Amino acid sequence: MAHINEAPILHKGVAVNDAAASGITSRDIRLSAANLSIAFIAIMVGGIAGLLQGLVRSGFLELPSWISYYALLTAHGVMFILVLTSFFSIGYLYAGTSRVLGGLADKTIAFGWAGFALMSVGTVMAAFFILTGNANVLYTFYTPMQAHPWFYVGLALIVVGILLNCVGMFITYQSWRKRNPGKLTPLFAFFANAVFVLWVFASLFIAVFVVGMVIPWAFGWVPTIDPMMGRTLFWAFGHTLVNIWMLTAISAWYVSMPKIIGGKVFSDSLARVAVVILVVANVPGGFHHQILDPGLSVELKFLHVIQTFMIIFPSLMTAFAMLATMERAGRAKGVRSLLGWWKTLPWSDARFFALIVAMFAFIPAGLGGIINASNQINQVVHNSIWVTGHLHLTVGTTVMLTFFGISYWLIPYLSGRRMTQTINRLAVIQTIVWAGGMLLMSGAMHINGLLGSPRRTANTTYNGSSAAADWAMYETLMAMGGVILVIGMALLLYIWAQLAFFAPKGDADFPIGEDYSPSDASPLFMDRWSIWVALATVSIAIAYVIPLIDFASGTNPGSPPFLMP
Amino acid sequence: MKNAPRDTNKNRNHTDSAETSLKGTFTSVLIIAVFMLISWFSVFILFLERN
Repeated sequence: MAHINEAPILHKGVAVNDAAASGITSRDIRLSAANLSIAFIAIMVGGIAGLLQGLVRSGFLELPSWISYYALLTAHGVMFILVLTSFFSIGYLYAGTSRVLGGLADKTIAFGWAGFALMSVGTVMAAFFILTGNANVLYTFYTPMQAHPWFYVGLALIVVGILLNCVGMFITYQSWRKRNPGKLTPLFAFFANAVFVLWVFASLFIAVFVVGMVIPWAFGWVPTIDPMMGRTLFWAFGHTLVNIWMLTAISAWYVSMPKIIGGKVFSDSLARVAVVILVVANVPGGFHHQILDPGLSVELKFLHVIQTFMIIFPSLMTAFAMLATMERAGRAKGVRSLLGWWKTLPWSDARFFALIVAMFAFIPAGLGGIINASNQINQVVHNSIWVTGHLHLTVGTTVMLTFFGISYWLIPYLSGRRMTQTINRLAVIQTIVWAGGMLLMSGAMHINGLLGSPRRTANTTYNGSSAAADWAMYETLMAMGGVILVIGMALLLYIWAQLAFFAPKGDADFPIGEDYSPSDASPLFMDRWSIWVALATVSIAIAYVIPLIDFASGTNPGSPPFLMP
Repeated sequence: MKNAPRDTNKNRNHTDSAETSLKGTFTSVLIIAVFMLISWFSVFILFLERN
């Protein structure tokens, strides 16, 4: 437990030294551990709901009358996409920031716990109304489908809790900058700050939607709602959420992976430029989810496709940087052949193995995103189960496997224990099981989508349609993938419990890579977030001002609610 | 021995360039690019056929 500082002595106006920065205070541990524990519960609830709805969809299971397929689908989406990812991200980013900036500020702890409390209450409320069948609106809660009004209040509490966590992160980040004038913030902290800046942008859109439009409508204070406005505000949030996960995941690729493989960060500048492009260009990408929506002109859609495609650049930069990091690590070990450095990577280290499999998954996942965002070929896959397969490759495989890899050093780091060889082997097996299950399930979803199978539907034969009959084999494969994934989930929960409570005591490190070349340090203005926030605001304004004014000033009569049984 | 320093430099330069070589990265990104192009055009052809 030598790495744990009992007293919260940091942030007293003194410069952080290396010794202090290598430890973590017990109060910082408690905050991160609390967030991770909710993620632990969310993965259980969301995973079981996912398995059940997969078995129903493929015709292997019939649900009792008291629970709907759509309740399970909603629980699966909300628990994984909103609850698991946000709680895990916050726990991980707080712990890493504490590690590199020498502890979280007093006010950050206060905001962190307040945010945690609100998010937890909101999660319980949302889960209650979903599981009692009063919120069968799926995780996108498209209007005019309507859930119980207090379900939306639960969602609003989660969003406000996230915003409080954003404030907490900004306080520690700016406090460090004030105490270290003329110094560049550590790369990990830069990533963490970027994630929370994106959270603010995402939260503002969803707060306007939920608090300003949906809650008054759900309580009956206003009779109708504009579904187009709702979809636009939702996807400004939803697509940003995707890149919040991605940015959180690639922080580990850029910062921790080099240390794990015995190499160095390929380029600090490249990493920060990739982060900045993601922050500046991300939010308008939401429009590619509406590429077949009415009410948007062709010219606007063309603009939005261009803006969406800007996000491809940081992804390609990341692919290059990861390969370059691994090649240089191999070359430093004396490898001279063209691709021989692949063999020198630590494949048996679960921390690396989970990350590299996640990176491999990112190749088809990113490619699927380009296809989805392409104006014409989106029509081939739109609203088909291809999109569900895409989501399971991005968040289900790329992001989740990265989070699992992170947990293999984060949980021991927080619990003061160490990864034994047995747990490490089990974690490697877990990665293979999870990736195998996802490959089967997501692959079948992609093929079925190309064959025309729709997403978001319970089991149906479409009145004996022969086209629908062709989908049956792939739906069986999807169900088999789901069963394998639940085995992977059980393994993961066992590993997490071992690392948190039962593994031998030890000093696990939170791996932070060093720069390949000191001369590569980014210029100080990269830390001036006012520039990037201003540019992001301009980018958002270019995309959203015209369509939102069109919707608000148009003649759309709005829609009364449709209650979902 | 007159040429010794030049040889040393040559060796060092050779070593440096071997250590910083990114030929494997270049090859790997090309493989990814080919995969992406083939996949994208496959779906595009599907789009054309269905229209």
